[in-house]
Amino acid sequence: MKTNRETSLAVTKTTFSLPAFHRPNRQRGALAALVLLLGALQLQLFVSTALAESSTVGKSGGAQPWSVLQVDRVDPGDVGLAPSFGAAIYENLLAELAKTEQFKQLFRSGDRNANDVPSLLILKTTVQKYTPGSETRRAVTTVNGATKLNVRIQLVTRDGHVVLENVVDGNVRFIGGNLRATHNLAHNVAVTLKRSALPEQANLVPEREPKRLADF
Amino acid sequence: MKRNPIPSRQTPVTSLQIGHGLACLTLLLSLCARSIGQTQSEAQSPVPGSAIHVTHVLGFEGVRQNATGDLKIQGDAVQFQRDGSPTAQVKIGSIQDIFVEDEDKQVGGTAMTLGKAAAPYGGGRVVSLFAHKKYDFLTVEYLDNNGGFHGAIFQLDKGQGQTFKKDLLVNGAHISSPDDRATTQSTPEVKNENK
Repeated sequence: MKTNRETSLAVTKTTFSLPAFHRPNRQRGALAALVLLLGALQLQLFVSTALAESSTVGKSGGAQPWSVLQVDRVDPGDVGLAPSFGAAIYENLLAELAKTEQFKQLFRSGDRNANDVPSLLILKTTVQKYTPGSETRRAVTTVNGATKLNVRIQLVTRDGHVVLENVVDGNVRFIGGNLRATHNLAHNVAVTLKRSALPEQANLVPEREPKRLADF
Repeated sequence: MKRNPIPSRQTPVTSLQIGHGLACLTLLLSLCARSIGQTQSEAQSPVPGSAIHVTHVLGFEGVRQNATGDLKIQGDAVQFQRDGSPTAQVKIGSIQDIFVEDEDKQVGGTAMTLGKAAAPYGGGRVVSLFAHKKYDFLTVEYLDNNGGFHGAIFQLDKGQGQTFKKDLLVNGAHISSPDDRATTQSTPEVKNENK
């Protein structure tokens, strides 16, 4: 026969049994973990937003970014560039630069609509080296007959300040017609412009003034 | 005594080689026939003022690249007409320069290129020796309504470029320097490089 004490102990044992003790704690633990996770996520979001804001402010510095580009006609230099190559480089440049969407507006050379645009950059292309190839020679020999182009590109402001200068190659070595070299070249130019960091407009003004003073 | 015939290992390989050889020969013969047909068509000079069949390489506004169609002079404009698509045209008065070059190109397109790559024993290279044709490339530089510069390139059968250029000049097209740049012939074999 059980005494009252044994009964009370049994009740106590029943009350403080391990699974029964852990069940609410598990729920609380899961809730706490969820709260912690949400807190961490919120913190991360806040930090990334703040970093992005600070980087944007740091980069632009209140100045308007270069968003409009005018592609100038290709300067054939003195390398005997075929006229079709000059036209093909120019047209392919326009097509490839439009693909990258780096600039909001693209103007052709001589376009009157570009006259009133304030933040305009002009892309000047000068052919430095040109090796005419032969598609048949490429197809027959594989190692011979490559068409090679080497151009100097300059991004110039309206008042003649050079913002960026680079040398880019465009070749066709195996498959494709000779004009494919112009497509490859234009693609490389677009990639080069996309990767290069353009200086801010505000930074260009102080550099220009000493030159003017030096001229006087 | 029952004898099992020993299968010859040489037979399938030889037949495969013969098959490849026959395939290459057939390809070569078809190409030769095609080139002969093209040569005959080249002999026919285009009628001045009529439409000529061209391939638009790039640059003509409103026409996609590598589109084939007819190029003709209609009134005071140059029109590119392709079946099932609207006509694109440029005023002849807006043309700034015209150049005609001739260039050697491989025929057959992508299918032929893949076939040549797959041909055994360098057969593709042999085919490449014969599978090429000379074309005229007509470059037309013109200005659009906003003054923007365009450079359009068309691929024509050999001999048609000069005729079409003369037609354009008669109808009022401009040329910046007719003496030295009127007819430019590309010389792909000569290395022209200034370092």
